[in-house]
Amino acid sequence: MGTTFNKRLLAVWLVLSAITVIYLWIDRSADDRGAPTASTVVTVSAITLALVKVRIIMREFMEVRHAPPLLCRLTDLWVVLMAAALLGMYFVGKAAA
Amino acid sequence: MTTTQTVTAPTEKTPRRVPGESGMWFFVLFESLVFTSYFGVYLYYRAQHEAAFLRAQSHLDLWLGVLGTIALLTSSWSVARCVQTARVGRYRLALRDAALTAGFGAVFLTLKSIEWARQIHMGNTFTSGDFFQYYFFFTAIHCVHLLIGFVALGVLAYQLASPRRRSQEIVETCATYWHTVDFLWVLIFALLYVAR
Amino acid sequence: MKRLAWRGDPKRELWLMWYATLIFYNVFTVVFFVLTRTQPPAPPWYDADQATAWFAHRHQGLLVGFALMFALGGLSMTSTALITYSIRRMSVSRAFAYSYLILYAVSAVPGLLLICLAMTVGAMRPDRDPAIQHWLYDFGFLSFSGTMGVFLVGSLIWMAAILLDKNRVLPRWFGYLNLCNALTEVVVSPAWILDRGAFSWNGTIAWWINVAVFGMYTGVFITLLRNMIIREDFGTGPLPDLPPRKPRQRAAAEVAEVAS
Repeated sequence: MGTTFNKRLLAVWLVLSAITVIYLWIDRSADDRGAPTASTVVTVSAITLALVKVRIIMREFMEVRHAPPLLCRLTDLWVVLMAAALLGMYFVGKAAA
Repeated sequence: MTTTQTVTAPTEKTPRRVPGESGMWFFVLFESLVFTSYFGVYLYYRAQHEAAFLRAQSHLDLWLGVLGTIALLTSSWSVARCVQTARVGRYRLALRDAALTAGFGAVFLTLKSIEWARQIHMGNTFTSGDFFQYYFFFTAIHCVHLLIGFVALGVLAYQLASPRRRSQEIVETCATYWHTVDFLWVLIFALLYVAR
Repeated sequence: MKRLAWRGDPKRELWLMWYATLIFYNVFTVVFFVLTRTQPPAPPWYDADQATAWFAHRHQGLLVGFALMFALGGLSMTSTALITYSIRRMSVSRAFAYSYLILYAVSAVPGLLLICLAMTVGAMRPDRDPAIQHWLYDFGFLSFSGTMGVFLVGSLIWMAAILLDKNRVLPRWFGYLNLCNALTEVVVSPAWILDRGAFSWNGTIAWWINVAVFGMYTGVFITLLRNMIIREDFGTGPLPDLPPRKPRQRAAAEVAEVAS
């Protein structure tokens, strides 16, 4: 039983690391011949990917998957809350600029 | 004071239960709210001064950030394995996983120190502009959390070390704290290194 | 009707302390936020003339407000006393209670009294040399906002006591909330370095978010101390649970009685 669990954790770690490496590609694609440029698409996808990782860490590493529904819902609500707060503040800031 | 606790039965038949103490989950949710508010403030100011933030941000080495993130993710993976091996009663293996967790945590800390030294060498300190204020603030406050994480790992290893203790709940509580340090960094990394 | 119930109640001293704590935090809020308007803090980037004008503008409020604080500031120790009591009721070493008590008694000087002194001195002679007024202005706000570190260890001691306690005096989640509070005390330290932005002494992060956390923390511990007094059985073992429902029914009956 223990070994099947560890395989799942390995897969989770691979996915999390792969998403981290995607950031390198996102970053390069946003460069305008080496000079960094502001990009809403990059910012929004960076935040979204980070929150996807947060949810995976919570579900798998933190074992929320096996937790009572209340904790599952609460952590999911928190991810949504974070997304709303971060993207919201970013766009409010952009509008105020 | 010494404590004597009964050995937790290494079964996982009970279908749904909160991993670790529910009090720790209160901490996880509360602390992530506090960090969310910090992040919100950062994004708000960043969106208003994009050019200045971008200029300062280009001094960061994304590769170093990616390596640090993977080191921390690996430490998280180790402590997740530690919880599972402890649950099935393989405490020697669990102790090894705890040591690996601390090891990858130390790798992260080393990478962070190298980056701090580099930035300060380049003349980027806490007082050089908005971006670096946030950079040093986020990395430093996260570092404080990580150092507390080492204390948590110490508690975890202390639990695993002797058959007289080995409370699975405490092991899970400490692991939950460590994962929180990890996922907060995942957010900090995206916001400091990648957000444009 | 409550007074009748109080006769012969061994908890009346504890309730006295608890109500004194409640009064202190209310006086504190009124003095700092309403009378003196020293919270939220004035801008850290003011120059000497602006600081002098600030003192002149708030002359009466500062004198009256802080006079009240000088008179009643000692009440701040009632919460420290109750918290120390809570630690003494736990199954942990007395050393925790002693360190907490001494630490918070000492930290009342930089955390509360220094700002009152500096601001009153500034308000006393509004025509003083602006450079000295500016010094008092900085000294007042920095002593108040910049010395949170002295509370940090205190919070951690309380946290450690709660987590080690076997008498269930306070819930474990509150132990962890102490850690959150302690961490915000670290966040305020950049106020010594920066005079503008989110990390200055009136900044969004160093002040607003911290105060929100501190406000919640204070509200929570006052409520939990109240619960502790209700649960207290004056023994040495684990504290019993809150009596289920009973107080609420009695409270409802009292409300009905008052209303009729």
